[in-house]
Amino acid sequence: MIGDILTYLTFFPVLGVVLLLLVPKERHDSIKSLSLIIAFVTMLISFLVYALFDPLASGMQFEVNVPWVNSVGISYHLGIDGISLLLIVLTTILTVLAILSSWNSIKTGVKGFYISILLLTTGMIGVFVSLDLFLFYVFWEVMLIPMYFLIGVWGGPRRVYAAIKFVLFTMFGSLLMLVAVLYLVFKYHSMAGVYSFDIQALVSMPLSFSEQAYLFAAFALAFAIKVPLWPLHTWLPDAHVEAPTAGSVILAGVLLKMGTYGFIRICLPMFPEATVAFLPYICVLSVIAIVYGALVAMVQKDVKSLVAFSSVSHMGFVMLGLFTLNLQGLEGSVMQMINHGISTGALFLLVGMIYDRRHTRLISEFGGIAKVMPAFATYFMIVTLSSIGLPFTNGFVGEFLILLGAFQLNTWYGVFAVTGVIFSACYMLWMYQRVMYGKVTNPENEKLTDMSARERIIMIPLVFLIFWIGVYPKPLFDRIEPAVKNVLEQVSRAKSVQLDPVTYELTRVKDEKGTVTDATVTFAPEQEEATHE
Amino acid sequence: MPVSAFLVLAGVLFAIGAVGVLISRNIIVLFMCVELMLNSANLALIAFSRALHVVDGHAFVFLVLTVAAAEVAVGLAMVITIFRNRETINIDRISILKW
Amino acid sequence: MEVQLPEVSLRMMAPELFLFVWALVVITFDVVTKRAQGESVGYLTMVGIAITGGILAITGEGPGFGNMFYNDPMAIFFKIIFLGAAFMAVGSSFGLTKQKIVNHRGEFFGLMLLSTVGMMFLASANELLTIWIGLELTTIPLFVLAAFFKDNKLSVESGLKYFIVGAFSSAVMVYGLSFLYGLTGTTDLLQMKLNLATVHLTFRNIGVILIAAITMLIAGIGFKLGLPPFHQWVPDVYEGAPTPVAAFLSIGSKAAGLAAFAKIFVNGLSAFHGVEMAPNDWGKLAGIVAIAALILGNTVAIRQTNIKRMLGYSSIAQAGYIMIGMVAQSALGLSAVAFYIFAYMFANMGAFAVVTAFEDKTGSCEIKSYAGLAKTSPMLSICMTIFLLSLAGIPPLAGFLAKYFVFAAAIKQASLEGGQWLYWVVGAGLITAVFSLYYYANVIKQMYFSKDDSPYRVGLQAPAMLVVLIGLAGVLVFGLYPEPVLRFAGEVPSMFGFVSP
Repeated sequence: MIGDILTYLTFFPVLGVVLLLLVPKERHDSIKSLSLIIAFVTMLISFLVYALFDPLASGMQFEVNVPWVNSVGISYHLGIDGISLLLIVLTTILTVLAILSSWNSIKTGVKGFYISILLLTTGMIGVFVSLDLFLFYVFWEVMLIPMYFLIGVWGGPRRVYAAIKFVLFTMFGSLLMLVAVLYLVFKYHSMAGVYSFDIQALVSMPLSFSEQAYLFAAFALAFAIKVPLWPLHTWLPDAHVEAPTAGSVILAGVLLKMGTYGFIRICLPMFPEATVAFLPYICVLSVIAIVYGALVAMVQKDVKSLVAFSSVSHMGFVMLGLFTLNLQGLEGSVMQMINHGISTGALFLLVGMIYDRRHTRLISEFGGIAKVMPAFATYFMIVTLSSIGLPFTNGFVGEFLILLGAFQLNTWYGVFAVTGVIFSACYMLWMYQRVMYGKVTNPENEKLTDMSARERIIMIPLVFLIFWIGVYPKPLFDRIEPAVKNVLEQVSRAKSVQLDPVTYELTRVKDEKGTVTDATVTFAPEQEEATHE
Repeated sequence: MPVSAFLVLAGVLFAIGAVGVLISRNIIVLFMCVELMLNSANLALIAFSRALHVVDGHAFVFLVLTVAAAEVAVGLAMVITIFRNRETINIDRISILKW
Repeated sequence: MEVQLPEVSLRMMAPELFLFVWALVVITFDVVTKRAQGESVGYLTMVGIAITGGILAITGEGPGFGNMFYNDPMAIFFKIIFLGAAFMAVGSSFGLTKQKIVNHRGEFFGLMLLSTVGMMFLASANELLTIWIGLELTTIPLFVLAAFFKDNKLSVESGLKYFIVGAFSSAVMVYGLSFLYGLTGTTDLLQMKLNLATVHLTFRNIGVILIAAITMLIAGIGFKLGLPPFHQWVPDVYEGAPTPVAAFLSIGSKAAGLAAFAKIFVNGLSAFHGVEMAPNDWGKLAGIVAIAALILGNTVAIRQTNIKRMLGYSSIAQAGYIMIGMVAQSALGLSAVAFYIFAYMFANMGAFAVVTAFEDKTGSCEIKSYAGLAKTSPMLSICMTIFLLSLAGIPPLAGFLAKYFVFAAAIKQASLEGGQWLYWVVGAGLITAVFSLYYYANVIKQMYFSKDDSPYRVGLQAPAMLVVLIGLAGVLVFGLYPEPVLRFAGEVPSMFGFVSP
């Protein structure tokens, strides 16, 4: 019963979809309440998983492994470690909030909307729990279609363009990933004699360096599009701006994390040598993303696209943290994934609230909102500060660790990343100032009502999380740490890389016998740059 | 006579037929060209059959002839309907659908 | 010359014989009842197809006329596909026959059955002559069916075009077959394989004549499959022909062509597949054709405004995907091909059933006229969406697994010695798959993303509903639980001699 808890967690929303199909489409209230209940129960199940999760144990927990398509070695293999645990909890919380936030704003096609959200939830949880590459891929693609409908049907004026762009970008990446998956499986077959899509089995498979490089590139492209890493980010502002509030929240809060999660779960452990070889390039791209996202965010006229570009910048931090390949960077990176989900999700929710009232998001349309909507301004301030990364808010914990890791890896990465933090303070606070302070210039803003009880209920858990993680992140770190150590150990399997067991820092191994492998010969120069002396 | 002579003749007939199908504008002529192609194949089959001393080729030829007859029956019926509809059997003018 | 007559076992041909008789019964029934029976003719046809399926199930495997006719797993698998396609095509054509073919229902359904008989015959054929006859039996009724609206200029024109191309291609093909026959001295595929190997060993190269024969056969079968550069007839015929016929064409005729291709090339010519002689010549040629089909079908489909033309181009692209599995030249590839057509059948016949119902109701096939359909006919739109997504290859639908296995077969072969060129084919398939998602999503976009309600409310008649439900069930069930079909498809190449599994 408890052993199958991940199955229940993943497919409970699908059960909800089936129930929703039975409700006549005119009964909006029943549809909304039912989907809220479903999402809420899903959240409770995820809390149960969190409670049952053993933080001390390393390795996967709640594993389920049943053959699915036996003849080609596809199995239904689920399991979670600390990283996926936290992301799942984040997912279920944000889903509930997203459903609450669209209570009054979605008026057409209500049934389809909630069905899409629930299907999306299953897809997202599925990605985080699957330990079988095929299953992972299926869930990865399953998310695509509900999101396509969410943007395309309930989105803004340019929704069709944004929806198609989103789907085509993601599809392109995931097809490359499919080829890489197939290659891995056949490689495994030629070595072990059986087909297997099991991530844990494939991780232990030795691969030559050139194979690793190609496979890493294929997987990394798919994940980088999703993250999105500069210069593959162009779909993100469009999708964010056009998507309905719930869509933006889930997109920013969870979908972007799929990319970084993919790096952690697949790229790093499976292709350690390629990871080390590609490390400088990815770090440079992440740093560019940090600075570029921040600078572009500064000149945005639309609040939502500002938040979207800030996501590019923040996800750049996450990527940088991942590729520092040391304990601090990786832990900070996982933490930042959660934090970004919370704070950006909260920002999108707030923007959605003001959009419901004014049907515009242009900064120039606002001004002096703080006088009309004091509670709104307070919540907005807290979330803004968390997004900047002020101490005692959640954003600080993650960003600080990432910067720590980055400075250990290479001072320059750290220096540039720090400018990103400064820029983020600039654009967020400047935006806040223009929207909230000053005189009420626009007469339409004068009769705005402050937050309703429903809206406060949405924000309170997020604000609670912001401060809780900011002040006492230890329970989260307890769960992240064993998982991150596992990943680092797997990376250190690489012949040319060895991680110091105490601090897990990257040091280069000099081959004593002089039997230098291809990998070390070809990629020694880059590695030297990347190595912390 | 060597087999190659028959094969060359078959090749020439086939080429004439194929070129005819591609350039002729009249559907009836076009059908005749297709017949020519089928019959050149028949010739090749018979020639091979004789050279190899196996009878399979002969059987093949009979069936090709039968099929050709069936095809022409359908084709001519179609020409009649199209003539009723359009009063033309010129290929170039039967082009409502983009080719 | 003494000729030994092979042992005759009509029992093996029972499904074909029964279906042939049933076709005549259908036509006679319609005439005898003075065309007054209306829909019962259609139901009679569907019952006949179902009974044939039952007979097929109890017939089992074995030879019919010596080696000329052989019920192997491949034949049975393809026969199931043919019967399924025919069943679904007949089921979706009730509205059409009611409106436009009032007085010729018997012939319409009868010809469909006759064409199915040809396909089934082809699936069991085991030598060049029967393969060719099977192909002709398949296509000649289809010529008539395409031109069935004899007062409709489009329909007649499309029928004529199909006829010209079909007759031309069968002439080219029989010429190519004559070369193969001349080179090997036999029409039996198995014997041909052995003889070719000795010819090959003697001359150390495959020779001009064999190359000519291979080219002509690829051209001839390429016409049937609608592969470039022999594809021009496809969109025209799809647009002009009655919609259920176009649907039947897209599955039945294509599967028949593929069966012929598999038999002649993957089996008959696989002597060039061995270790010491691996020119893979036909594979590369077919690979180029497949790449062309993928690129052309997927890019031109984007520009189409008529949904039938769009599905026509998409079927060219789908043929390209199928050919990826074929050019892998392996047992895995052949099973992938079989599974692909099987999955494709459900999605495509379902999509065409919806298109037919929509056309019956509105008289329009323009993609634009689907705008807002989701608001007035939500269930139909959901079904259409699922079919289109399956065609685009989105998991967890059957179409995804189909594409997946095809790519898997090609990549497996590509990782072996001398197979690197297959990566190009796979690459083309992947990139164009993104395009294909664009034009399939375009229809979904029209149905869902339009703010206005559609002026039409499209319902389904009972048989069409059955077809859509079968399609839906197939796409979903075999997407999530493909094991039984896979096991069956895995046996498809069992009669083919492969060097390694």
